Amino acid sequence: MIKETYLKYIFLTLSIIIILIIFFFPFFWIITSSFKSPEEIIATSTTIIPRSFTLEHYEKILFNSDFFTYLINSLIVSFFSMFISIILSVSAAYGLHKLKFYGNKFVEYSLLVTYAFPGVILLIPIYLLFAKIYLLNTYIALIIVNVLFATPFAVWMLKAFFKLIPTEIEEAAYIDGASRIIVIFKIIIPLAAPGIASIAIFCFIISWTEYLFASILISTDSLKTLPVGLSAIVGQYQIDWGFLLSGAVLASLPVILLFLFIGKYFVSGLTEGAVK
Amino acid sequence: MKKNNIEGWLFVSPLLIWISLIIIIPIYIAFELSFFNVKIIGTSGKFIGIDNYFKLIKSTKFINASINSFYWIIGNAICQTFFAFTIALTINYRFPGKKIMANWIILSFIIPTVVVVVIWKLMLSSSSGIVNSLLINLGILDNATGFFSTPNKAFVSLVLINSWRWSPFLALIILSGLNSINREIYDASKVDGANFIQQFIHITIPNLKNVLFVLGLVGTLLSFNIFDIIWLITKGGPSNATTTLPLLIYETAFTKFRISQAATLSIITSFLLLIFSLFFIKFMAPKEND
Repeated sequence: MIKETYLKYIFLTLSIIIILIIFFFPFFWIITSSFKSPEEIIATSTTIIPRSFTLEHYEKILFNSDFFTYLINSLIVSFFSMFISIILSVSAAYGLHKLKFYGNKFVEYSLLVTYAFPGVILLIPIYLLFAKIYLLNTYIALIIVNVLFATPFAVWMLKAFFKLIPTEIEEAAYIDGASRIIVIFKIIIPLAAPGIASIAIFCFIISWTEYLFASILISTDSLKTLPVGLSAIVGQYQIDWGFLLSGAVLASLPVILLFLFIGKYFVSGLTEGAVK
Repeated sequence: MKKNNIEGWLFVSPLLIWISLIIIIPIYIAFELSFFNVKIIGTSGKFIGIDNYFKLIKSTKFINASINSFYWIIGNAICQTFFAFTIALTINYRFPGKKIMANWIILSFIIPTVVVVVIWKLMLSSSSGIVNSLLINLGILDNATGFFSTPNKAFVSLVLINSWRWSPFLALIILSGLNSINREIYDASKVDGANFIQQFIHITIPNLKNVLFVLGLVGTLLSFNIFDIIWLITKGGPSNATTTLPLLIYETAFTKFRISQAATLSIITSFLLLIFSLFFIKFMAPKEND
């Protein structure tokens, strides 16, 4: 018995260390490197603790590049994608998991199967379709696509939260004469708020990180999103690492800030909503 | 009950209409294109029937990309299952800093893919990457190695990078399943003398079947569809070793300008994935108990 607890302790410590090195250290190294001098970044003797400190990369990206244009574009696209995704998924999840209509299992699985189509498979036909209806080089094009990618999983995530809301509360409200709309806005949405917060973050992240469609559907420089703007630098033959690293840090900052404030809902929403 | 039926569909329909429009119309367009020989986007082509299908199924490029995609899915499934379970089981224990780790482990998932690419291009760089200098200092390597220089190394590196991005997210979903398991079952099994591994096989896994089903289905489809990480790091090289089907479709359409062929590839691929999904749901879907 004692031997087993001892073994467990060693395993636990070991896996914590491995997780720290693999999943957290890269961030530390990239962030500190973005403050290193250009010479130190490309030096063959790599440093863990920085020897130099400079803000020149950040000055360059903030004041001498299109960073802000890309940032605003990404914010607009991600915000509206998130907003529409929330409305559509809450409505669908309510229908699927609270009303249990005939065929709901079929719809639930069909939604998951939509992941069989996205990505590059839809890219060409969507490009042709959007070209025909004059949607190329618009925010709307990206929003339409992002909602498609975010909602199926968002509906599935909401399932757990909706199941936690006791049916008795709803029934009591109906007996008191409340209409369905009132039940949804006064009972379901407030009680499922952590769940809605989690899908909000999920949808925002999906839109914020989307690269493929943004790179094809938008060709006007002033409408490009951050991932596409950054990738143009990655592809260059002579990479300006300092510039790229500071860009990478700044491009991650908005999602990290968002996560700082409502991230706990996302994590607890994912981990504590009993999926049964 | 009848009223619920109509209202239920009513609540689901806005999303269903949105999704079907954005999937069905494009699939129809691709289907139509696959019978023509359109080359550059915007030009028109000649009707050639099912020639595209015959030509592509036999082409070495398609076979090669299919094999790569197959290895890609398997490699990612193994790596991600391993990492995700390690993370989930670790966070499931109590230790100082557990809350912070649980909240921030997902960092690799919330940042843009391009940032993931930047991080690992520098980490694995052969001239100034920290992984090389660590391996040399530890005596594992004699000289700096190029992690994307040979077909095998590039493929494995990409699988690991992609798993690095997705595992924490999967771990949190597995954790949700773990949390829903009644602790008393573990305590009871301990009394009966079950060890950690027996508990894992006989309690943890069976109780996770709902979660594992969704992860198995969605995870496989999402892995298959990965494009940006591969494209931004290796562009499918060296010597096509990392050209999976999505990359082949992209290349065919946007660098070789064979739109009809690319559309045909899309149709074939969608068909394969649909068959996979249907079989997976038919045979793996957990029976509904409630």
